[in-house]
Amino acid sequence: MASSCDALVIGAGPNGLVTAALLAKGGMDVVVVERRPEPGGVASTIELGEGFHASVGSDLCLLPQLIVDGLSLEAHGLKLHAPDPIVFAPTRDGDAFTLWRDPVKTQEEIRRFSARDAEAWPRFSQHVRDLSAFLRPLALRPPPAPDVDGVGDLLALLKLGWDFRRLGAESMHEVLRTLPLSIADFLNEWFESEPLKACLAGPGLRGVSFGTRAAGTTAHFLFHQLGADGRPWLSERLPVGGGRALVAALVASAQAHGARLRTGAAVCRIDISEGRAAGVRLEDGEVLTAAVVVSSVSPRTTFQELVDPDWLEPRFVSEIRAIRYRGVQAKLLLALSELPDFRARPGVEPAPHHGAVIHIGDSLDEMEQASDSAKYGEASSRPFLLATIPSVLDPGLAPRGRHVMSVTMQYAPYRLREGTWDERRDALADTIVARLAEVAPNVPGAVLALRVITPLDYETEYGLPEGSLLHGEVALDQMLFMRPVPGWSRYRTPVEGLYLCGSGCHPGGDVTGAAGHNASRVILDDR
Amino acid sequence: MPKKYDAIVIGGGHNGLVTASYLARAGKRVLVLEKRDRVGGATVTEEVYPGFKFSVFSYVTSLLRPEILEELELAKHGLHLLPLDGTFTPLPDGNSLARWHDSGKTQQELSRFSPRDASRYEAFGLHMHHMGRTVRDLMMMRPPEPASFKPADIAGMVCLGRHFRALGSERISDLYRLMTASSADYLDRWFESDPLKATMSASGIIGTMLSPRSPGSAYVLLHHYMGEIDGVSRSWGFARGGMGAVSGALASAARSLGAEIRTGAGIASILHRKGRATGVALDSGEELGASYVASSLDPRQTFLNLLDPRALPGPFVAGVRKYRFRGSSGKVNLALSELPDFTCRPGDGPHLRGSISISPGMDYLERAYDDAKYGRFSRRPYMDILIPSTIDPTMAPPGKHVLSIFVQYAPYHLRESSWEKQRDAFGDAVIDTLSEYAPNLKSAILHRQVLSPWDMEQMIGLTEGNIFHGELSLDQLFFLRPVAGWAQYRTPLKRLYLCGSGAHPGGGVMGAPGKLAATEMLKDWSG
Repeated sequence: MASSCDALVIGAGPNGLVTAALLAKGGMDVVVVERRPEPGGVASTIELGEGFHASVGSDLCLLPQLIVDGLSLEAHGLKLHAPDPIVFAPTRDGDAFTLWRDPVKTQEEIRRFSARDAEAWPRFSQHVRDLSAFLRPLALRPPPAPDVDGVGDLLALLKLGWDFRRLGAESMHEVLRTLPLSIADFLNEWFESEPLKACLAGPGLRGVSFGTRAAGTTAHFLFHQLGADGRPWLSERLPVGGGRALVAALVASAQAHGARLRTGAAVCRIDISEGRAAGVRLEDGEVLTAAVVVSSVSPRTTFQELVDPDWLEPRFVSEIRAIRYRGVQAKLLLALSELPDFRARPGVEPAPHHGAVIHIGDSLDEMEQASDSAKYGEASSRPFLLATIPSVLDPGLAPRGRHVMSVTMQYAPYRLREGTWDERRDALADTIVARLAEVAPNVPGAVLALRVITPLDYETEYGLPEGSLLHGEVALDQMLFMRPVPGWSRYRTPVEGLYLCGSGCHPGGDVTGAAGHNASRVILDDR
Repeated sequence: MPKKYDAIVIGGGHNGLVTASYLARAGKRVLVLEKRDRVGGATVTEEVYPGFKFSVFSYVTSLLRPEILEELELAKHGLHLLPLDGTFTPLPDGNSLARWHDSGKTQQELSRFSPRDASRYEAFGLHMHHMGRTVRDLMMMRPPEPASFKPADIAGMVCLGRHFRALGSERISDLYRLMTASSADYLDRWFESDPLKATMSASGIIGTMLSPRSPGSAYVLLHHYMGEIDGVSRSWGFARGGMGAVSGALASAARSLGAEIRTGAGIASILHRKGRATGVALDSGEELGASYVASSLDPRQTFLNLLDPRALPGPFVAGVRKYRFRGSSGKVNLALSELPDFTCRPGDGPHLRGSISISPGMDYLERAYDDAKYGRFSRRPYMDILIPSTIDPTMAPPGKHVLSIFVQYAPYHLRESSWEKQRDAFGDAVIDTLSEYAPNLKSAILHRQVLSPWDMEQMIGLTEGNIFHGELSLDQLFFLRPVAGWAQYRTPLKRLYLCGSGAHPGGGVMGAPGKLAATEMLKDWSG
């Protein structure tokens, strides 16, 4: 039996839900179909042990306020917490670098490491703010494309040019000069203290296979600073209640606008008739019809699994096939009997640093060395880690008195030279726990249960090709008008009525929901 | 009163000589001042060991602009370029790969490794040739200044825009990809065979602190595809008599056009008054006056050594200080009693008459790079080797040979120790590695000359031993080279110009910056 609607959205991850909500808000009758039993994709939460809940994917939320407001997410229960301190970075020598929301406090903290760096900090912060001010509008609109088709496109391009020129010569030059830099070169122009630089470099490496010396990591870093206050790290927020709280608010908003969500409904094919999208077919045989089909899953899954290649030009297919995914992230979820007792801040009673984003990576070189292993198909023996303890913010995520720690590790390359990820699961857990123990020796003894999510798990369970949480590496040659493939960066596809709205599109994975937002604008404009 | 010239050119390297020649050709009274006892800079032939002529530093040419060859009648002045045919890659397992101009021969070689690669090779060459042509026009163009509202610059931007639009969106994306991807990722789209990809991507690392997997290395790959000899694209050539024949011919041309050249005349400072260059002061104390001064030295030498930085605008000086050099290459020149005998292809043969590349695989190159990243020379380095005496018998006594080895990586900044102390160990590492492929090497060595980046800095004034007068990275190219806003050969000091490789289009023995600078100077003269 066929059922019909205006728009079908494939996948109920954050981008799919944002698209669905905005299309519904725009007056379309929307149905979202999600393969898994619950929505959220990698933003969802899983349980380990009894009563411990943590996010499958990123613990951090870079959802632009524009989207939060546009979908009334706060009214639907979303609380985005701005941690203070923002980052706590314990180092092997027993010290720690802490980044606070208060710039003066941060400056004093930096002074402990380097007086020169402390003096440079305010100018650096302002500089990052200026750069991100320029990039922010870029993230929330379709990327400028060199092949300008319509007048609208031309105007957008000119406006970009004009905005650019209004920056003034010096800032324009700085933008042009800075964007291609490696994060190491960028930071080395300002600072000497390694713990400071390492902590700042983290966002530039998130989810990409490159290290600190790779061109493009500064651009990636800047795309993490697009919040209201563009100073370093201030855009990152934590959803109270973890990923599932974010997902719940998105679902509630979508449904409040009239969208319908179907879970446990796996799409096996996108139906195309006379070159136009006609709907989808589910694995159980059910057919759903719609003139607009929006895929939030990866370009690979969309075009290599769901679309009959006869409808696609060979050049398009080969470009799609050539997209690099190269997932390098793995996760370790820990059920803990007590909070980590950091050597730099002894104590297992909840303290402000426990609520921060915990960065473990002592220096740029150490993080670079971690990336070296990935080149040779090995997991880093000294990985760099990004962790949160969500139960500090929301005690409901763990049993009373206990805690759950959610750790993202790099680099765990999808393609291993030796062995398989299933064989390596335990070794990976050991490596991560050992690294944590260097800065918080009580952790190994406090582990009640743990769960490892490898790049292979991300692929098989969450449909992320090669375990790439970004749906494709965010690198200079896979950004902007090149993402997902040249000529098709504006969410439309060669099949009329079929759109992409996921992380595989501009601006890429970490700016939560932005691709979905941009895609919905294009779809509504096309109607 | 100091003798007054129309123009003084600081530095008698190939670019300085080109600038002098074009100015003289236009009727100007020009003086070239060279610190060493001979002209040429890095383009010299020296009889380091009696009877054996070494192209001490640079060793091949191809990028030398054909119009410069013609316009300055360099053939008449003794320059004869002999094309090199072939790149031979010996492999540790006794196999070897060779590529020739004859695509049929190359396909035969490649099909032993991968029939698929063999079938694609010619198409790739054609593709790169087209890309090279596209970029070549940009090479010989004065970079536009995007931040300027001057009519000439706006016209320049419009022209550039038109040039790009005419390429069509497919070419634009190809070009953008070439500018931003790693050479490894770029080549992965075409080829699968490891030694082939490694050898081809090795040209993407020449003179850089990049590896084949570094984003941005594909650009340098293109840089090396833009040469031609006798209209034959991409041919690398050897100058009869060594690279000194290039500078010798240029010097002869300059003199015949009326330019004066003084060697043994090092400059202590550039003289200026009221914001205008007025001449130079030599190390000897002698002062020479000129209406115009062109420096072919690199930006750091020019602006921070020959001038008091306080005489220059703050932002400009900051830009020069940020401009990165990071020399990464060394040179080992050998006088041999016999030809090296490669185990994998014994005896004499055409494989010894082209370039010999020690680049057996991508991992090999990556590990060489890893050494350099952490401040060590590569234990098992990449090498680009030439045996000039096989093509030009005048380079060595009969039956004997000279071997020129360009080596990467040899980072200027060593973590431990100094180049004076490490030079021999570096030389040993090079010889030991090469001996693995040609075991007769050590016993054949009559003399060896080992040059580290530090030696290059000491001997010929290359800051940090960077052969390109500054990295060819995206943030230091085109309108950003050497400093944003100052990419059109002029400097903040009126009548002072930059005419060396620190200006667009950068390094390699091209002569392009020299000619473009002269063109700008002549414009200002008549204007």
